[in-house]
Amino acid sequence: MISLPTRVADWRLMGRTARLVLGGPVYALVAAVAAAVALTGFVLSQNLPFTGDVLAGRVPAAALLQLFPFVGISYGPLTGSVLILVSLLVGVDIALVAYHVREHRLSAEGGGGSIVGVLLGTLGAGCAACGSAILAGVLSLVGAAGLVTLLPLDGLEFALLALVALVLSIHWLADGMRGGEIRGCPVDLQK
Amino acid sequence: MTDDSFLTGRTTRRTVLAGGVSALGAGCLGGGGSDGSGGGSGSGGDDGAPPLADPPVGTNLATQPRLGPDPAEVRGVVVAFEDPSCPRCATFEEETVPKIRSELVDPGDAALVVRTVPLVYPWGEPAIQALEATYARDADAFWALFAHYFDEQDAFDTGNVLERTETFLTAETTVDGAAVVADAESKAYDDAVQTDLAAAEAADVSGTPTVFLFRDGEYRTRVTGSVSFELVRQSLGL
Repeated sequence: MISLPTRVADWRLMGRTARLVLGGPVYALVAAVAAAVALTGFVLSQNLPFTGDVLAGRVPAAALLQLFPFVGISYGPLTGSVLILVSLLVGVDIALVAYHVREHRLSAEGGGGSIVGVLLGTLGAGCAACGSAILAGVLSLVGAAGLVTLLPLDGLEFALLALVALVLSIHWLADGMRGGEIRGCPVDLQK
Repeated sequence: MTDDSFLTGRTTRRTVLAGGVSALGAGCLGGGGSDGSGGGSGSGGDDGAPPLADPPVGTNLATQPRLGPDPAEVRGVVVAFEDPSCPRCATFEEETVPKIRSELVDPGDAALVVRTVPLVYPWGEPAIQALEATYARDADAFWALFAHYFDEQDAFDTGNVLERTETFLTAETTVDGAAVVADAESKAYDDAVQTDLAAAEAADVSGTPTVFLFRDGEYRTRVTGSVSFELVRQSLGL
C-alpha cells in the first residue's frame, strides 16, 4: 500500500528528519550544492546554445545570471518561486538519499520516489517558462496536441507535480528512516 | 500565395514543434541549434560563428519588419522570433523591447528585426497572416498591430482575432482593416509567412521568443524565453 503524508504527524516526521539530517554540516553542504546544481541545471538546460556560447567565450559569463529567476525576467514571480522551491526540495531530497545510503539501508520505495521527483522537477522547470509550445509537440506524439494550451497555468502544472513528487519522495525517505537514528537522535519520537 | 486553409500552417507548426522534441532531454526550451551556432548553415569562420548574411536567420532580413538602421550598417542586430499569442513574448515586448529601442536602437547602436512564427495558440496563425498583410501596406501600422496583439493578448481567440484586427486597424491606423482581413483570410501574403516559418524551422526555433544576437555582422548567441535587456546588452557588448 502506498503511504501518503495525510496526517500532521507525517509532516512533522518529514520536518524532523530533514532538520536532523541537514543539521550535519556535510549533509547541509550536500543539500546546498544539490539545490544550486538543480536550479542551474533547470535554468541552463533551457538555453543550451546560449550556455555553449558562454563557454566558447562569445558571450560574457555574467550574462548567464540573467537566466535565473528574480535576476532576469525569464520567469514570473510565481514560476520563479516554484522553481526555487523545487530546487530546494531537490537539495533536501538528495541529502536525505545520501544520508540514507550512507547510514541506513536505502529502501527501494524511497529511492524510486527521489528519482521520480528529480526527473519531474527537470521537466517541470522547462515547461514553466513557456514550454507549452514544446509540450504541445511532445503531446502530439500521443495524439494530444494542443492539450497543454488548455492548462490554466501554461505548463506550471508540471512544476507543481514535481513539488508533489518531491514531497512524496521526502515522505517515503523519512518513513523509511523511521525507527533509526540520525546523529544519535531517534527519527521518530512517537515510536 | 496558396489556397490552403490554416490547417497547412498548423501542420507546419507541428513540424516546427516536433523539431523541439529531441530537446526534451535537455529541458523543454531552447534545445535547438545543436551546433550552438543558431545560424544553421554554420559556414562561418574558424570559431563556428556564422555571419549575419548566412541563412536561415538572415534570410530576406532586409524585407522584415525592422526598427533602427540597416542591419548591414549597424554594430548590433537583434533578430527576434515571436508569436503574437505567446505570453512570454508579451513579457519580452513589455519589459525588454522598450529598453532595446531606447538604449540601443534610438542611439543607432543596434537594429531590431522581428520574424513571426505561430507556435503557441492557434489564433497566432491568422494574426500573423494579418500582420504580414498589414506590413505590406504600412510599417507603422504593423508595429501598432503587433503591440496591440500583445497588449490585449488575453482577449484574442481564433473566433475573434480577425474581427478585432479589422476594428483596431480601421480605428487606430491609416490602413484599410477590411482589406487586411480579406488578405489574411485568403493568405495573400503567405509567402512572407512561409519565409519566416522556413527560417524558424531551419534554425531549430522551437519556442518563443527566440532571440538571435549578432555583433558586427557575426553571430554572437541565441536565447529562448523572455530574456532581459541586460542579457541582450551584455551579449552584444554594447
